[in-house]
Amino acid sequence: MTSFDASLEDQGPRGTPAGGARRAVPFDLKGTMAPLTVLRLRSLDLAIIERHLRIKIAQLPQLFLNAPVLIDVGTLAGHGAGLAIEELVRTLRSCKLVPVAIANLADELRERAVAAGMGLMQQAAGRPRPEDRTAATPNAAGESSEVGHAAGRTPAPSTSAAPPRTGGLAPAAPASGHAGPMVITQPVRSGQVVYAQNADLVVLAPVNPGAQVIADGHIHIYAPLRGRAVAGVQGLLGARIFCQRLEAELVAISGAYLTADDIPEARRGRPAQIHFEGGECRIAAL
Amino acid sequence: MSKVIVITSGKGGVGKTTTSANVAAGLALKGKKVVAIDFDVGLRNLDLVMGCERRVVYDFVNVIKSEAKLQQALIKDKRLESLYVLPASQTRDKEALDPEGVGRVIEELKTMGFEYIICDSPAGIEKGAQMAMYFADEAIVVTNPEVSSVRDSDRVLGLLAAKTSRAEVGGPPIKTHLLLTRYAPLQVKKGEMLSVGDVLELLGIPLLGVIPESKAVLQSSNKGMPAILDETTDVAQAYLDVVYRFLGEEREHRFIEEEKRSFFGRLFG
Repeated sequence: MTSFDASLEDQGPRGTPAGGARRAVPFDLKGTMAPLTVLRLRSLDLAIIERHLRIKIAQLPQLFLNAPVLIDVGTLAGHGAGLAIEELVRTLRSCKLVPVAIANLADELRERAVAAGMGLMQQAAGRPRPEDRTAATPNAAGESSEVGHAAGRTPAPSTSAAPPRTGGLAPAAPASGHAGPMVITQPVRSGQVVYAQNADLVVLAPVNPGAQVIADGHIHIYAPLRGRAVAGVQGLLGARIFCQRLEAELVAISGAYLTADDIPEARRGRPAQIHFEGGECRIAAL
Repeated sequence: MSKVIVITSGKGGVGKTTTSANVAAGLALKGKKVVAIDFDVGLRNLDLVMGCERRVVYDFVNVIKSEAKLQQALIKDKRLESLYVLPASQTRDKEALDPEGVGRVIEELKTMGFEYIICDSPAGIEKGAQMAMYFADEAIVVTNPEVSSVRDSDRVLGLLAAKTSRAEVGGPPIKTHLLLTRYAPLQVKKGEMLSVGDVLELLGIPLLGVIPESKAVLQSSNKGMPAILDETTDVAQAYLDVVYRFLGEEREHRFIEEEKRSFFGRLFG
């Protein structure tokens, strides 16, 4: 999914003097990538869907309250054939979610979806894969995007358009309510993005320059951190980053970040932890 | 049993084509039936380095597009009996490469009894490079002791693990080898160049060999004769070591400064 920016404001001929003849447009129209929860259906049974959804929501009510939701039926055999669209939309609304659109819907169902107030999207959010929770080998996420969010909240200065890899919403919640951490055993290489959604991330190999590791919870790296690490990306202020050797390009927690230049020389190359305090990231020895 | 080997790097100018020519010639010297395919469609070079540019009639793209038979496009080396080159097209672009066509050519080479199919990758990570690596069983990642080259190699290693036939069907991962080229121990000592240890620490794959910086490489390229054929040069010695190691023989690493040896003892002992 490529990000594109269609700001109409800048469409005028080049060389127009600033403040000159440019006509005032009453709005900016932008194609953008906003964070959007994807509900990728694996079943047509609304009762089961609702039950699992309510379990999920009960775990993280603040995350799901009034959250816009994209319904992806691309994984279903008939691309939504046999799905009670109106009923599903009602169910989601009753769960205090805001369904906004349906992706990968079969052509003959499009009118019904529109009638139910849904937008239509094709090819949303990458292709799902059958097993995606624990990744021994991270994929080059720039290429094989596989996402639960249509766009990840990248840290403030990040220019990466690569959607982070996630575990997805779908797997049924274990009875304990603890999803467990995502564990990565292979090096995270330049250009790869690993995202532990609703979980901590444990990395047992180096995170190389140009790579990015993201988690909703803590990030533990039992090896050098040379790329970017973003913990608490959904806003968990208590999230921390731990690494055996801090050589990061960037570390961020809940939107606050430090670049390589901000990391004091005395802390570089050593075991460190990063936490959020007083609105900024703090580095401490480990 | 055929093996498909991709010679790749991400970054340009690090020695992929030189390595392809020398590894192919070296394997042929050992009596193996070898073909080297130039995947750099539009920037054909391998035929020059291997000295067969004047005999190119048909090329890889002609074969993919079924405009010529594979036998018509293969060029037999004049010096080595069992060495063949499949040249790239200079006039097309990388879009001419498609997985079905490339796969068909590689299958046909296998049935012709080629033991080693060397795929010389173009620079970059776009279509040409991805096609070169797609069917590989093993990869030789060529890296210069320099940060940008190392980072590009790291990126390529990620692609090898994700964007290849083996990765997609869930087969065993591609076996990767590191080849460090243009290495100058003196500059390493002065701190002007990354050491073998630095590079290995970042990339974390086994070292196949170190090729010293040498004028012999340029001379051999211009002559159209792979450096490995002139055994008096250190480059030839280094590439011979690489070929022996690739075939499973133990050879001590050379052309690295003396004090680094103990480090290797630890790493590979």
